[in-house]
Amino acid sequence: MLGNNVNYRIPRNLLFIFELMTLALMFLYYKDTLNRITVIYSLTLILLVYISNFLLLRITSGDNYIFLIVTMLVSIGVIMIYRINPELGMKQILWIGFGIILFFVTYILFKRIRGWENWFLVYAIGSVILFILTLLLGRSIKGAVNWINIGGFSIQPSEIIKILSVFLIASYYTNYDKFNKMKFGNYYLMGIMYIFVMFLFLQKDLGSVLIFLSVFIALQYVYEEDRKLVLINLSILMVSAIAGYFIFSHVQSRVHTWLNPWKYIDSKGYQITQSLFAIAEGGFFGTGLGLGYPEFIPEVHTDFIFSAICEEMGIFTGIGIIMLFLILVYRGFKIAINQKYRFYKIVALGISILFGIQSFIIFGGVLNMIPLTGITIPFVSYGGSSMLTSFIALGILQVVSEELDFDEE
Amino acid sequence: MFNIISLIFKYIFIFIIYVFILSIIRLIYLDIKGIYPIAVNNSAYLKLINRKDTLPFKVKEYYSLSDEVTLGRANNNQIVIKDPYISKKHFRIVKDEGKYYLEDFNSANGTYLNGDKVMDVVCLKNGDRISVGQVEFLFVNKE
Amino acid sequence: MKSNNINKEVRRIIVVLVLVCVLFVSLVVYLTYFQIFKAETVKMNSYNKRLWINEEKILRGSIIDRNGKILAYSEKDGETYRRIYNYGNLYSHIIGYSYREYGKSGLELKYNNELLNISKSAALNELRNIVAPNTEGNTLKLTIDHHLQEYSRNLLKGKKGSIVAMNPITGEIYAMVSMPDFNPSTLRENWSNIVEDENSPLLNRATSGLYQPGSTFKVITAIAAIEAGKVGEKYNCTGSTTIDGYVLSDYNKTPHGNIDLTGALVYSCNPYFAEKGVEIGKDKLEDVAERFYLNKAIPFDLTVTKSSFPNKSNMGKTDIAAASIGQGEVLVTPLHMAMIASGIANKGQIVKPILVKEIISPEGRIVGFSEIEILSEGTDAFTANEVKNMMVEVVQRGTGKNARINGVKVAGKTGTAQNPSNKDHAWFIGFAPADDPKIAIAVILEEEGASGGTAAAPIARKIILEALNTIN
Repeated sequence: MLGNNVNYRIPRNLLFIFELMTLALMFLYYKDTLNRITVIYSLTLILLVYISNFLLLRITSGDNYIFLIVTMLVSIGVIMIYRINPELGMKQILWIGFGIILFFVTYILFKRIRGWENWFLVYAIGSVILFILTLLLGRSIKGAVNWINIGGFSIQPSEIIKILSVFLIASYYTNYDKFNKMKFGNYYLMGIMYIFVMFLFLQKDLGSVLIFLSVFIALQYVYEEDRKLVLINLSILMVSAIAGYFIFSHVQSRVHTWLNPWKYIDSKGYQITQSLFAIAEGGFFGTGLGLGYPEFIPEVHTDFIFSAICEEMGIFTGIGIIMLFLILVYRGFKIAINQKYRFYKIVALGISILFGIQSFIIFGGVLNMIPLTGITIPFVSYGGSSMLTSFIALGILQVVSEELDFDEE
Repeated sequence: MFNIISLIFKYIFIFIIYVFILSIIRLIYLDIKGIYPIAVNNSAYLKLINRKDTLPFKVKEYYSLSDEVTLGRANNNQIVIKDPYISKKHFRIVKDEGKYYLEDFNSANGTYLNGDKVMDVVCLKNGDRISVGQVEFLFVNKE
Repeated sequence: MKSNNINKEVRRIIVVLVLVCVLFVSLVVYLTYFQIFKAETVKMNSYNKRLWINEEKILRGSIIDRNGKILAYSEKDGETYRRIYNYGNLYSHIIGYSYREYGKSGLELKYNNELLNISKSAALNELRNIVAPNTEGNTLKLTIDHHLQEYSRNLLKGKKGSIVAMNPITGEIYAMVSMPDFNPSTLRENWSNIVEDENSPLLNRATSGLYQPGSTFKVITAIAAIEAGKVGEKYNCTGSTTIDGYVLSDYNKTPHGNIDLTGALVYSCNPYFAEKGVEIGKDKLEDVAERFYLNKAIPFDLTVTKSSFPNKSNMGKTDIAAASIGQGEVLVTPLHMAMIASGIANKGQIVKPILVKEIISPEGRIVGFSEIEILSEGTDAFTANEVKNMMVEVVQRGTGKNARINGVKVAGKTGTAQNPSNKDHAWFIGFAPADDPKIAIAVILEEEGASGGTAAAPIARKIILEALNTIN
């Protein structure tokens, strides 16, 4: 039936038009400082996106939407970043390009290589090594020791560890019976997860703690047969959340700022109130690209890119982005349900929850619906390591969406 | 100048984004009518008659049938069989008012129902044998 | 059964999916709620630099007095504009200030849109910005006479209180002083001092200071008496009276003997008005009071606090008695008292007070002006005339002798208001010339500890004289 192909053309072409129009607008805005390289890179990216979507449709038997959705998210994000700071915009274009390439590489590698479910120890030890490296070499940015500098590039190991831990949990539950037979086998996973959490605490990266634990608890809820472990986990989470509030002063500070940012408007509430101003000024349709003042928000290219988007492109665009993430997460869950091999199911589930929880936390924080944490929006915020690991995760998800058929049934 | 364009464009952008979202939702919805989770039990399916190990390509023993299923060599069919004698889009089976109908897509080597070449749309009954390329299926309809 | 296990798993996955969906939907709901209900108030915060972006590009309009003297203006200071207040303290309450950190006050606040020449609608502004962005605001021409304003303020130096001088026929305010005041030019440096000062220099006492009017309120009671037909009734003042066990007496309890309404007003006899007030009754009193705009919002170029005449349902005789002599729960602003004086001067017609005479565009066109507007008819011309004559007597031979001016018929009423502090307020209201009024005035010295006749009347006299000599 030819109907299918025609239908896929519509969103692909819409995306193409959107990218061209926003790009043209931005070129007009920056017409005085435009140089040829910028034009070449951006047009190349638009072409790359179009071809990738087209290609993917042909070569995969799995999901056709997640990549499409992600490329739209990526486009909105990069245009906003470019508008705020053309230099960062250019870098983001490069990251996206690498990300797309990495997506295809991951797709091929993950499909070809088998036996991922057996490398429990590899994941565990690898993560711990990364954690230790972070603690040793890491630099503290905005209060969290998160980054390692390697030859001029900053990478966030915690992003890689997120994926590794999803694999860890998946391999655990795939080989659940084996672990059950071992002494204390039941508690291996919990133990390791809590070691991770401890590392994260040492790094003072509390936002990541939230993400890790959410993913863990969700997966545990679905797959753990010993139900009381789930309850134990939940209770530990709640107790430590409350304890964290009382022990850590900056947790208290975050909560106070969340409850009444206006009181601290000139100190710790400055960021969030500026974000609220931006969102309020935008109205439903926004002020128009280039006509707002997103530069008034500190850290606007990372944490608060969403506020800038709401200011210049309107609440409707903000809601659109939320909807896109929702569809992405929904597709991920659907992929997990459809996949028959347990390991891949859990991996898909874990990645979807990662995308979902991460974006929810940052959207909620930026709107002051929940306290702020230092997390970035996957695909939209500026950031190399975040972009690359997100595309890797997407590549893995794409593989799982296909009907895998291994001979040992 | 820029201001006016930006003001007009902002409405266009929101329009494009929402049409984009809606078209994707529509596509997903259409797909749902064809896709089904493995856990659900369907009443009609195709059962492979050949011996699986005699075939040089991957085939499944059972293929569940939903409201609309296409079969072919290309990856965007519901049933994908990499048989060189099967066309990229070979045939489709559609459920209409409780009955299942087979329609051949002018495939190169044709589709055969109980030995007869399918020219038009045919109605399938429980127990029909469907041949495509080197593969033969039994159409099972429990209803 | 394996399928059961699978179903359990699928079910749990769907539970998690639903949870995530609920989270996302709540985001959308919250975002929409925020935009519809909270966005407007959130935007209007002085920390929102966007509010000020417009200002930085526009030359804020000047403010001038009725004779064209420049009182405040803006000049270019590198990238932005700086606001210069030529006379510092003198107009701190009228013009106010305009600062990013502290917001705006006075006319700078109320006429912000005119001073910047921006409209209230954001959409209109957007459109304007594209088609023909404006760079200059409008000028405000005030009704204020700078010389009189300065003169009046000098008379209040070192004291707490307020003076309002206005034209009783047109409503134009010639002078409005509130002391203590502050210097808007040095607001940043002195902000904490100003804000923590116990005497509240930021308060515009003329429009927002509520005081017991004391005996000045008797003009209202007198009007009620005349309307109730009690003019000719005789009364014997023994120096004090007791109403429901409550003793009301005159100053030093001096008895005034046999007096009529005129005499009672001239010598400000408390027992007379107290008893007559009770006779007239609360409803009649309230009726007259409200015709004179008590309990009503006064429309003005600055915010005016409502004056109040008590209107509880269970007012006892003592309450009415107290109200009749301007004590108890009666509270007025100095601006309002000036309006009441104007009403009597203007044949009973209460005129709307005006501060901004004209709005002038940068090209010199008049784009807005205030018209004379009668707010209400306080009383009929006859009654007003009667009270006017009594007030002339007050100044001729009564408590207002210190307001006498040679060759000019001055009408007035003094007041010495008791208040929670143990120092009385000193009041004087009046107008002149009585037969062809050109100026009405209200003077209050807050917690002066002296009588209206001794402390306030001389000030009023000087100002009336100066006004009659200098204002055209």
